[in-house]
Amino acid sequence: MSSSLNQTKPADPIFFPQLGVLVFFGLIVVLIIMAVYPLPDWQVISPDRFAGISQEHPLGTNALGQDIAARAAQASWHSLRIGFIVTICAGFLGMLLGLVSGWYAGRWPDATILWLTGVMEAIPFYLFVAAVAYAFRQLSWSMELAMVVTFWTTMTRLVRAEVIRLKQRDFILAARAIGLSPAKTLTSHILPNALPVILVQFSMIFIAAIKAEVILSFLGLGNSSTISWGLMISESTQEVIAGHYLNFFSASILLFMLIYSVSLITDSLQTRTDPRQGVA
Amino acid sequence: MPIFIQKTLYSLSLLLGVTFISFMLMVYFGPDRSYAIAGKNPDAAQLEEIRQQLGYNQPLTSRYLGYIKDLASFNLGLSESSGKPVARLLAETIPTSLLLLLPGFLIGNLLALMLAMIAAWYKHSWPDRLLTNLSLLGVSISFLIIIIVLSTWLCTPQGLNLFPSRGWRVDGLSSWLTYATVPSLALIFVTVFFNLRFYRALLLDEMEQDYIRTARAYGAGPFAIMFSEALPNTLIPILTRLLFSLPAILVSGSLVLESYFGIPGIGKVSFDAIFNADQPVLNAIVSLSAVMIVVVTWLADFIYPRLDPRISQHLVVR
Repeated sequence: MSSSLNQTKPADPIFFPQLGVLVFFGLIVVLIIMAVYPLPDWQVISPDRFAGISQEHPLGTNALGQDIAARAAQASWHSLRIGFIVTICAGFLGMLLGLVSGWYAGRWPDATILWLTGVMEAIPFYLFVAAVAYAFRQLSWSMELAMVVTFWTTMTRLVRAEVIRLKQRDFILAARAIGLSPAKTLTSHILPNALPVILVQFSMIFIAAIKAEVILSFLGLGNSSTISWGLMISESTQEVIAGHYLNFFSASILLFMLIYSVSLITDSLQTRTDPRQGVA
Repeated sequence: MPIFIQKTLYSLSLLLGVTFISFMLMVYFGPDRSYAIAGKNPDAAQLEEIRQQLGYNQPLTSRYLGYIKDLASFNLGLSESSGKPVARLLAETIPTSLLLLLPGFLIGNLLALMLAMIAAWYKHSWPDRLLTNLSLLGVSISFLIIIIVLSTWLCTPQGLNLFPSRGWRVDGLSSWLTYATVPSLALIFVTVFFNLRFYRALLLDEMEQDYIRTARAYGAGPFAIMFSEALPNTLIPILTRLLFSLPAILVSGSLVLESYFGIPGIGKVSFDAIFNADQPVLNAIVSLSAVMIVVVTWLADFIYPRLDPRISQHLVVR
């Protein structure tokens, strides 16, 4: 590899490596301010339509006179909640299946899991969500369910590849030789070594879940009992035509801050832990 | 067992899984159509008769087999909201979606490939870092925001007001440009930033190979290296990316673009079907697009060895 020729470590490709953390903290600060600021309830309709920025409505009001800041705050928590639930459930599901699949590579548990991965990846995501949302319409969390059921596949493929790679190493062979159980070997010897890949994939799932939630609720497939960024953007499509941009900007800037900061942090995590970069 | 048969059997097993999931979601747990057909105030005997006709009383396996038979013979039934045959509905709308999405998809990928070549050639110096930073910024902007900003800027009196904000009356190049430019621009934006880093990583890996270093030592310039050395050797993963993102773009991309711009393509049809619980339409789209992906995977396994003889020695894993 080129590292033998070129001993200097390449510069971090990101101009400001701290930018991700900075934007993330910016978002947290905005959310905390919105949480402590005395805002009206996000659902309350008032005759004060399309109000500008004022002390009462720090981000103005929408077409129904609802406070945009209060709605944005509520929407942010909603998105974060969905992001975390989906990431944790789909991530751990994918990890577990990947560990089993990699450990039994070439045998029937592996074949079954790979087959299931292939099947789930073949079904178009948005239509699958629509179908799940319909089939389980009595559940309020059908969207989360659909995302969990589809978002685990990449994690499984990556973890499986890592397990197969690590399984041949001497320390794993030694662990097995002294009689360590597969579960113990996987959790205390393979898992820690696969952690960088797993962490990166966790944040990939997070980003995918946030983006998917926004598009689904924009299309009207989300949970309509609460407010979300996608719904705010959907409302604002009518408002921007009339020249009212506050609703649109509030939702889209918060959404952008979250996705951008997590992407930047994931990216530096990836470059720092990539074995091919020779960081050791 | 020869690899051909092995792969075909695997694809068939995937088809079985995909159709089974579509069947369970769309038919088994799907909408109960007997009430809609029976009309107002049906009595129990009438409902029972309709259920009998629809086959609701049969066991799961025979319903599933019937479902596969219908799918294989393109017997997709009638749309519940419009009464049209679903097969005709698909035949009418898929060309529209292809016209809308394919140019933007191809231009976006080409542009991404060109930019990735620039980034890979100037590895770790400022053009590469600039492109990396731009693409991180680009993928962080939601597709919806791009669509709304572009259409507000280009299609409303608020901005330049150059294009119609909705609709699709296309009968030639100029009318295509009128209606497809803004959606295509949005698609190009997303496609470029979604693919740029992937193509860059591919090309960078290739640039580290010995034969490239030899070519450079012999004085080959950037164009010769990129187009006649690096590109042919990265064709397989690029083609895979294109093939596998195409069904996703066709179904998911069209869903957002066509419902926003009011374009009567496959995305608008699925959007309407979702909201009208039009089970035959939704069922056909979900099942057929999943089948399409499996078939594409299967085909790819036969195209690749022709492009790169090294591949025939082992199975392609995507």
